[in-house]
Amino acid sequence: MKKLISLLLVLVLCFGLVACGAAQSTPATEAAPATEAAPATEAPAATVAPIEIDPQIHFCGSSSLAPVIASIGAAYLEEYGTWDKVNPAFPAEEIDIAVTSGGSGDGPSSVLDGTADFGMLARSVKDSEKEALGSGYTEYMVASDALTISVNKKNPVCEIMDDIDTDTIRKIFAGEIAYWDEIDASLEHKEIVVVIRDLSGGAAEVFEKNVMQGTPISENAIQSPSMGALAAKIVENEYAIGYAGYGVYQKNLDNLHAFKVNGVEPSEENILNGSYKIQRPCLFVTNRPLDAAEEAFVDYIFSDTGRAIVAENGYIPAF
Amino acid sequence: MRKTEDRLFGGIMGIFALLTVLLLAFLVFFIVRESLPAIREVGLRELLLGSQWRPIIYQDAPSYGMRNMILSTVYVAALAVAFALVIGVGCALFLACFATERQRMWIMPYIDLLASIPSVVFGFIGLYFVVKFIEKCGRAAGESVLAGGIVLSVMILPYMISSCCDTMVKAYSRYGGSSAALGVSKWYTAGELVLPASRKGILISMALATGRAMGETMAVMMVLGNAIGLPRLLGKGETISGLIALEMGMAEVGSIHYSALYSAGCFLMVLLFAINIIFELLKKKLSREGSL
Repeated sequence: MKKLISLLLVLVLCFGLVACGAAQSTPATEAAPATEAAPATEAPAATVAPIEIDPQIHFCGSSSLAPVIASIGAAYLEEYGTWDKVNPAFPAEEIDIAVTSGGSGDGPSSVLDGTADFGMLARSVKDSEKEALGSGYTEYMVASDALTISVNKKNPVCEIMDDIDTDTIRKIFAGEIAYWDEIDASLEHKEIVVVIRDLSGGAAEVFEKNVMQGTPISENAIQSPSMGALAAKIVENEYAIGYAGYGVYQKNLDNLHAFKVNGVEPSEENILNGSYKIQRPCLFVTNRPLDAAEEAFVDYIFSDTGRAIVAENGYIPAF
Repeated sequence: MRKTEDRLFGGIMGIFALLTVLLLAFLVFFIVRESLPAIREVGLRELLLGSQWRPIIYQDAPSYGMRNMILSTVYVAALAVAFALVIGVGCALFLACFATERQRMWIMPYIDLLASIPSVVFGFIGLYFVVKFIEKCGRAAGESVLAGGIVLSVMILPYMISSCCDTMVKAYSRYGGSSAALGVSKWYTAGELVLPASRKGILISMALATGRAMGETMAVMMVLGNAIGLPRLLGKGETISGLIALEMGMAEVGSIHYSALYSAGCFLMVLLFAINIIFELLKKKLSREGSL
């Protein structure tokens, strides 16, 4: 008897699972006709023909750009809520801007395998990637970000030195200059703690191109999983040096000190006019024409509101 | 009626069991398949013994040697198990032989609770206490294999203690009464009777702990510094799981780099299988000698 009961329970659970799975998948298929019909009954006089859209827009890629797009998406949702508020011809479905953060490499690859509508990158797109994405390839440049050569404000080197040249930076990151007193004899004989992003991130690539140029980075460098962690490490450790992004540098102005590189200060002006060399573009790409909803959201990104949010996140708007 | 019922029930359970096995087989198949391109292209020897991990390089050819990561993984896990063994066995011995039933009832849930704390939390605590402490002692950077070992040892402690404690309670109930009747001291009973009798239990707990220690990613990644050099006790290191977690997101799908990361996962799996087999053999040997 007991066995029969447990058997029944197992079966009920199984059916429950199947039912749940089915219930989750049905709205997607059923909702479309329902909402298509909705505007017709609500506003029979309206002349707008309903436009079919995908209510979810999915961005995937660079962890530097992800928070920016996410906050623009949040602002968009707050302002409109449902798609029909954006354009009466759209269905009355909730706006869903999904942002998945990974690395710059994820951007093009997720667009390619269809998991995302847009891929975000914090470096320029490689030719091989452009080729893979095909003829529908379009890129949308959102912002510029620079890498500052930052140290902890408590480090006495801030008072001695204001400017650093590419050669010295290269030697420090390659581990050839390993102690602070090798930079200036008045400094402590303490190891220079080099902090980098993981070797395959977008920032690492920009740094490689502009500074290292083939010299391998020291095997003793700490790899941080994100820009935030990299800045936090420098804030925590007064012997650290790292290439903090302009965004995180702006957020930690009280604790970080950024050197001029070859005499050029990492200021907004210098980054935009290209005289500060260690910089990278933040952009997103797609490989097909946009649908109406995507177009509406992309327009929003490049609006004044979008611009303000980009600047708020510490990046320099590129439009 | 009874028979068909039983058969039906057995059949359904069988299907579930089969599903689990299939899942494991699929997992192994998938990982091995994804890692094949790297093994073919780079060569097993270079992957395992190469000292240079430079998957992305702009001038020379990239190299995919993960000797340092494999060594780091083993180093950190061994250190953690060594620390946890000393503390864990002592703690279990106390709980089994010296604590009263009531005390044990109170203490055990807290130890088990330690196992349910998310690993990021351990990572944070490690970053702000262990790493900071090592920096206070004069190192410029506190991220080190030692810090990783300490944080990990705390994380595997609950597994160690609860599985050791079970065996030791059994051993104590076997010898405790007679020892007391003979007037032997509790210390003697604990050290000379209970401890040797629970060798097998300790070994099982070590196997469990090693498995967990090698696979742990987040907490270790946060305190180890993730440097690709040769690991030293006070130097930085990067474990295999840390390597995969850091780079999998960035690797271009289908590239050798991507495949090499899968093969790193493959090696970790093989390493764990090998360790489990060794423990299993030791266990068998001890069983024959009549250990609990």
